Amino acid sequence: MILDILMGLGVALFGFVLQTSVAGINRRVVARLQKRVGPRWYQEFLDIFKLLSKRSISHGWIFDFGVIMALGGIIATAMFMPLTSTFSAFGQYDNFFIFVYLLAVGMLGIAMSASGSGNPWASIGVMRALTTMLAYEVPFMIIVLTIIKVADSSSITGIQLWQQAAGNNWFLIALPLGGIVGVLSLMGMLGKKPFETYIAPAEIASGPMVEYGGKQLGMLFILHEISVFIEVSLFVHLFLGGATNIFIFLLKYIVVYTIVNLISNVNGRLKIDQVVLFFYKWPLILAIVQAVLAIYFGVVI
Amino acid sequence: MNNIELLILLLAGSAIVSYFLSKLNNFVSGVYTIFATMFVFGSLALYGLNGNLDPTISIIGGSFQVTYMGTFFALVVSFVYLMVAFFHPYFTDKYEYKDSYNFLFLLSLAGVLGTFYASNFLTMFFFFELIVWTSMFLIPLGKSKKAAVTYYGFSVAGSFAMLLGILIMRAEAGSFGIAAGLASLSGTNAVIVFITFLLAGIAKLGSFPLHIWLPEAHGNAPHPFSPVLSGALVKLGAFVAVLALIRIPTFSVEIDAIALPLAQYIVAILGSLSIVFGTLMAIKEDDAKKLIAYSSMSHGGYILVAFSLMNSIALTGGFYHILAHAIASAAAFMAIGAVARQTGTVKISDLGGMIHKMPLTYIVYLVAIISIAGIPPMGGFISKWLIFQAVINKGMILVGVAVFFGSIGSFLYVFRPLAALFLGQELSRYKNTVKEAPILMLIPMIILTLANIYTGVMPNGIIQYINQILGELGYAPVVSNGWELYGNYGVLNPGLIAIVFGVGVVVAFIIFILLKKSRPVGLMDTYTAANFVHNEQLLHYATDFYAPLERLYEKKSHMLQKFFENLAYKVKEIGKVAKTFFMNKYLELTILFITLITLFLLWGEIL
Repeated sequence: MILDILMGLGVALFGFVLQTSVAGINRRVVARLQKRVGPRWYQEFLDIFKLLSKRSISHGWIFDFGVIMALGGIIATAMFMPLTSTFSAFGQYDNFFIFVYLLAVGMLGIAMSASGSGNPWASIGVMRALTTMLAYEVPFMIIVLTIIKVADSSSITGIQLWQQAAGNNWFLIALPLGGIVGVLSLMGMLGKKPFETYIAPAEIASGPMVEYGGKQLGMLFILHEISVFIEVSLFVHLFLGGATNIFIFLLKYIVVYTIVNLISNVNGRLKIDQVVLFFYKWPLILAIVQAVLAIYFGVVI
Repeated sequence: MNNIELLILLLAGSAIVSYFLSKLNNFVSGVYTIFATMFVFGSLALYGLNGNLDPTISIIGGSFQVTYMGTFFALVVSFVYLMVAFFHPYFTDKYEYKDSYNFLFLLSLAGVLGTFYASNFLTMFFFFELIVWTSMFLIPLGKSKKAAVTYYGFSVAGSFAMLLGILIMRAEAGSFGIAAGLASLSGTNAVIVFITFLLAGIAKLGSFPLHIWLPEAHGNAPHPFSPVLSGALVKLGAFVAVLALIRIPTFSVEIDAIALPLAQYIVAILGSLSIVFGTLMAIKEDDAKKLIAYSSMSHGGYILVAFSLMNSIALTGGFYHILAHAIASAAAFMAIGAVARQTGTVKISDLGGMIHKMPLTYIVYLVAIISIAGIPPMGGFISKWLIFQAVINKGMILVGVAVFFGSIGSFLYVFRPLAALFLGQELSRYKNTVKEAPILMLIPMIILTLANIYTGVMPNGIIQYINQILGELGYAPVVSNGWELYGNYGVLNPGLIAIVFGVGVVVAFIIFILLKKSRPVGLMDTYTAANFVHNEQLLHYATDFYAPLERLYEKKSHMLQKFFENLAYKVKEIGKVAKTFFMNKYLELTILFITLITLFLLWGEIL
């Protein structure tokens, strides 16, 4: 038990280090896209440690408590994440719904803390974040419903093993329409453009982040990196066949994150009602069509 | 005391005692009510869980039986009654007819016991109506008398539909027995009884399309009675729905793709619509109590969906959801009630920054909404997890859309009171006047909070009990051993989730505490893009919280309400026509009509 928990904490730490490095590398990739040189790959680490070492302000106990609860929830979620189909800290307990709902604890924590700061920009940002969540989550869940039904397991490891079994394709190929929805939802989850509405630095002053500085902001950065790790790994495991060893996982992870980042950087930002309408139009229709095909007609490539 | 009849008589007696005590002193009467409900809940818990309740009847007539399902419902409901009773000493003296408040409250609890333990439909119907009538007189003690009329209208429609069903069942089965009578139905009669019972269930549960009364009644009822309505009395609808959906033998064609009879599928769709509409309406509601009322409507939808799926996992999810939602929504309503007592309003846009003066109430509300939103480690997660598993297992895609929409949507609406009522700027008008709720009101709220956590961390004892209900209904038990809970697609370990979450929070706390201490600053000291904002009201974002989202659907949101309003108008018109026949100024005409109708009715009987 103790060993499992330590292993889980190791996974969370690994996720943080991995995503922070990948994010640093991606800053260089994006810089090349814009004909710049870009910062060194470990720049993100420097940013976070600088923030953690600074003296900051606090708007009352809920402002601090929310950050702690959020980081705690995200670390807990990351602890359940399997890295490959053979390695996960808590074995069979890596149920898909845990990831979606335990992640929500973290989100609730940030939202609480941000609203507790008393800044209206923060509340507007939270409102937009929750609205975006309502938009991308439903099509995504319908596709996951299909995946669970087809793979006959709601455990992430079980879903990976189904895709790795002989004769089965990755779900990106097996459920092609679902794959499109998956990519779109992932972009929504990561808050990448065009669904970046709730951060929108030029519009609502970084939304929920507006009042933070110093260690609170540093902790939120850590939280952000770990939650990106969870979301991208979830995509890798659900749609890209998971991984049989850690190197394949790293490869798939970096490819997915970089592609999403590149798509994001050539897009503008949608308005919040456009985000909702977008997700409830094509992705939802595609998801339902895919689910009907796969579940009722048994069409799985 | 282990005799049900005696418990009911005791409650009726206590009701009268409390009436006279109220004449002397309200506080004393409130305390007396606490002890009476505590005694009843204690007896039920002590004897009911061991199966030692005694159903024999010697005085009041009717007939009782002890079932696991009856005990489950009775325990949940009487627990909510007990918790709410703690609020009475602080609230009842404000109401217009304050003497009868505790009287009606205890009498309705007597009705609850009678309904859940009745073994034939006549007994059940009598006690069912007792609840409807007592609560009808309790609701207008709050803000609006019209709310009681709406409540009564829908309740009566449901009750009489059920009475019709009971009589049809009696004609076919030859007795009023509940289990045997419903099991013997077939053909057209089964369809009619199914529809009438479902009407009663949906009307009581406040599901789509009979949901109009729910926000009206919940929102306008006295503050301590809203948790009873939402946590306890709505569950009567679930009880009736179980009778219809599970006890009546299936009669409709089976849909092969999802292995479910058509009638059950239609109910699942109704439940889904209820989830979606409840969620959308809750998102745009500004009255905190009405907001939670709409969330009750959406959760009623989950319960309907669960019971219509007809397998063990779904039924377990449904029963667990009844318990988890009763606790969570009672806690949420009580927290709002406490705020309302201290400030005098429940409008979200008028409140702000309550957390600084009422931190404990805030924690109660926070835990309650985590459960309502179905986030671990609270009870709502367990039941939603089970329901999701069952929905996926059946491959019901459209129901799946609704279920997931309601689940994510609940994050939105539960967060609104949290952000605008408890958090945000501390409004100047509450800065010096508001205090934390009195200790006697905090006790039940803290108990409910602990119960929320308990149901989320250690569900296995409760699942074992629900397994006995499943056995009674003829379903296989759900596997749960030690800490684990098995669904259709995998295993859940709620205890482990709680522990891991705890570890995460400890790690985060260590990181936080090791770093440099922050400098505390005031709430007005925020980034305002170089504008000088001089009062709290202007910096408080509370009105139209989800405005961009609301704009997408608000024009269409009153369609059904308009329909019912027009229907009520039509009924009133017909009533006026009838009035001109019977209640005009010509007495002789009235007598003529009455004589004619009497003659018509007696035709063939005597004449």
